[in-house]
Amino acid sequence: MSAFSPRNETLAQQLREVFGDKIAELIEHRRQLTAVVPAEHWLDVAWQLRDDPRFAFQQLIDLCGVDYLGYGDDEWETAEASGSGFSRGVDAAGPGRFSWDERPEAEDFPNRFAAVVQLLSQAHNRRLRLRCYAPADDLPVVPSLIEVWSSANWFEREAFDLFGIIFEGHPDLRRILTDYGFIGHPFRKDFPLVGNVAVRYDEEKERVVYEPVEIEPRVGVPRVVRRDSRYVDMPRGESEDQPA
Amino acid sequence: MSEIRNFTLNFGPQHPAAHGALRLILELNGETVERADPHIGLLHRATEKLAETKPFNHSIGYMDRLDYMSMMCNEHAYVRAIEHLLDIEAPERAQYIRTMYDEITRILNHLMWVASNALDLGAMTVFLWAFREREGLLDAYEAVSGARMHPTYYRPGGVYRDLPEQMPKLAESRWRKGQDLERMNRWRNGSLLDYLEAFTGDFFDRVDDYETMLTDNRIWKQRTVGIGEVSPERALQMGFTGPMLRGSGVAWDLRKKQPYAKYADVDFDIPVGSNGDCYDRYLVRIEECRQSARIIQQCIAWLRANPGPVMLKNFKVSPPTRTEMKDDMEALIHHFKLFTEGYCVPEGEAYAAIEAPKGEFGCYLISDGANKPFRVHLRGPAFVHLSAMDEMARGHMLSDIPALIATQDIVLGEVDR
Amino acid sequence: MGISTLLHNPEPEGIVDDILRPGNDNPLIERGFATTSVDALINWARTGSMWPVTFGLACCAIEMMHSAASRYDIDRFGMVFRPSPRQSDVMIVAGTLVNKMAPALRRVYDQMADPKWVISMGSCANGGGYYHYSYSVTRGCDRIVPVDVYVPGCPPTAEALVYGILQLQKKIRRTNTIARA
Repeated sequence: MSAFSPRNETLAQQLREVFGDKIAELIEHRRQLTAVVPAEHWLDVAWQLRDDPRFAFQQLIDLCGVDYLGYGDDEWETAEASGSGFSRGVDAAGPGRFSWDERPEAEDFPNRFAAVVQLLSQAHNRRLRLRCYAPADDLPVVPSLIEVWSSANWFEREAFDLFGIIFEGHPDLRRILTDYGFIGHPFRKDFPLVGNVAVRYDEEKERVVYEPVEIEPRVGVPRVVRRDSRYVDMPRGESEDQPA
Repeated sequence: MSEIRNFTLNFGPQHPAAHGALRLILELNGETVERADPHIGLLHRATEKLAETKPFNHSIGYMDRLDYMSMMCNEHAYVRAIEHLLDIEAPERAQYIRTMYDEITRILNHLMWVASNALDLGAMTVFLWAFREREGLLDAYEAVSGARMHPTYYRPGGVYRDLPEQMPKLAESRWRKGQDLERMNRWRNGSLLDYLEAFTGDFFDRVDDYETMLTDNRIWKQRTVGIGEVSPERALQMGFTGPMLRGSGVAWDLRKKQPYAKYADVDFDIPVGSNGDCYDRYLVRIEECRQSARIIQQCIAWLRANPGPVMLKNFKVSPPTRTEMKDDMEALIHHFKLFTEGYCVPEGEAYAAIEAPKGEFGCYLISDGANKPFRVHLRGPAFVHLSAMDEMARGHMLSDIPALIATQDIVLGEVDR
Repeated sequence: MGISTLLHNPEPEGIVDDILRPGNDNPLIERGFATTSVDALINWARTGSMWPVTFGLACCAIEMMHSAASRYDIDRFGMVFRPSPRQSDVMIVAGTLVNKMAPALRRVYDQMADPKWVISMGSCANGGGYYHYSYSVTRGCDRIVPVDVYVPGCPPTAEALVYGILQLQKKIRRTNTIARA
């Protein structure tokens, strides 16, 4: 059976043929194809995707890091909340709600970090998304794609800076976006949104000094997971009065 | 014997030719650049992390502020990613409005580019001329959204409201009256579409004006021809998109190859350069201005003939009107839910790309089923272009660096995010 | 109507301030001389040629350029943008100030010659604005430099900036350099 839309069927088939087990998973969502590649085959697959004329993915459009900690968590009980009444206060510690001192301890979480790559083939006019989960989560390491596509250079530096993913083989893995001397990897989900330091000009020292951040973290709208978007593509009228 | 060594020069972060907060560490041998190391992040505002703590619609405004020269195009990518995950499609009229405003944005961006580029290379007049036209187009932004620069006009499921029937006029004052006022208001007597029609009709002559000042200008050519040459192979390898790629001779334009909105239904050409130097990229951008004006004209014709809804009639994502709220309880509840909590987007991931004036602007969105995105990644074209600065600058003179920064058309808001 | 009222000048306090008026209104200039106080003269000179250093950081910089370009043209108020802090009197902080940029902002401010003024343009420079809760953003440029005029807006329109500049002129006119209060 073919689980793929006509647009991606050929590409999916080719990927299966050529790579076989090197691709751990092939997912299609909303007509976009994602291949999950284990770290040990990451470079092989990348080289072949670029050089094999059947694929000819000449361009790496985008590479980004993802931290899957807290995926699917919500801050508001929605399933049986109407029985007990909505509580106004939200006591959860979702993203943006904690300060540096009370940041959560990240529990052991398999496949926490991933590098996601968007490829584009001008020759065949199609796109492909690759995802590579970093094997060890305390020190996530992914092979660097800089030899295959030069454009990976700054993207990998960015993912290193923001998520602390180490790209093995990158010649110049420095911080890129954050401040000089920044501590931590700010886009990790256990890094507080308000950060840990703020700057101020000190009249006595006559220079800009760093101080612990003094503002309270605040998030206006609680994070809610509802499954009601399945009504979205129904015409108006049908979506009303659905039994729970 | 004295030791000869290279000279390291710090360029920026506060430099008029740096187009914002860019810092370049240049290693110079005499006046020749041996190595260029851009230090970015001097405008890093953590847009992506802030977006993770806000409902989807609250972050549309952040997109405006990324590439603050092509505001609506950024919104378009983000909104398209959400629509893709929700699996909804905006009404046709909204798609045409988006196409039209994308092209207005493209002209705005290219005018800003030609103005600042010419200013960096020593031509003041073009700056004043291009800003005159920019003011005209910002008025079109203001008419439709109320804001000159950051409109937040595109919404998932369409656009915020229909085009105004009456273009706002300049008011009379002690300094602006009589015939002057009449001349300034001569395009503004009708609707917004009338105004834009008059503007685009006039615009081709204005582009010719800029070309008179620059295209055959000896100084302009000396400073751009043969500077920053990039071969098509390298351009692809380094991830170039947009005019940077087309200047190198690769005819790749998402509007043609992977059409979105209504680009499949309008007629336009893609200009392509041949040498891949700063001058070719200038010619490409200037021609794109004309093509954009052509697209706007076609959109105006269609929009005149086809009134209709501009927002999806689906209260799960788009708010009901005031009238509906007053006589329909459901609508009132939907309104309340939308504005207190937002809508939940089904679990999944999507990458939506559009042809922004600078290149491919992409939005990679992961949703875990909540009312806030789990991860947003924004792919700014300028980020990739700037990463090639080292390779492009090697072997050039120090005085070519402003020309190179200008030709890459970088905006630090989008580079640093 | 004298130019002083157009520029929201405080009403001239007697004949000494009349240097601000065009010649026709002023009987003294017709006779070939003018008298004024040194303070009024200094303030007239300062307000008439406030040269801002371009400190464009983000979106607001575009509106700042618009205020200098065709429609708004702040040259009318004697303002000419200077790329160098050494030649400037006013710094317009236009855009989001982030922690990485803060030392550079202070250095540019320190390099400006006295007397100097700062206009904070836009909500990001005023207090962080839309980016207030971000880990990398300085929550207001007044944490780094003393600010004279805050212009609200995101971004403020070019007109709003011009209004802010006029407010600053007003503020400068109120100060006395020689006379003691």
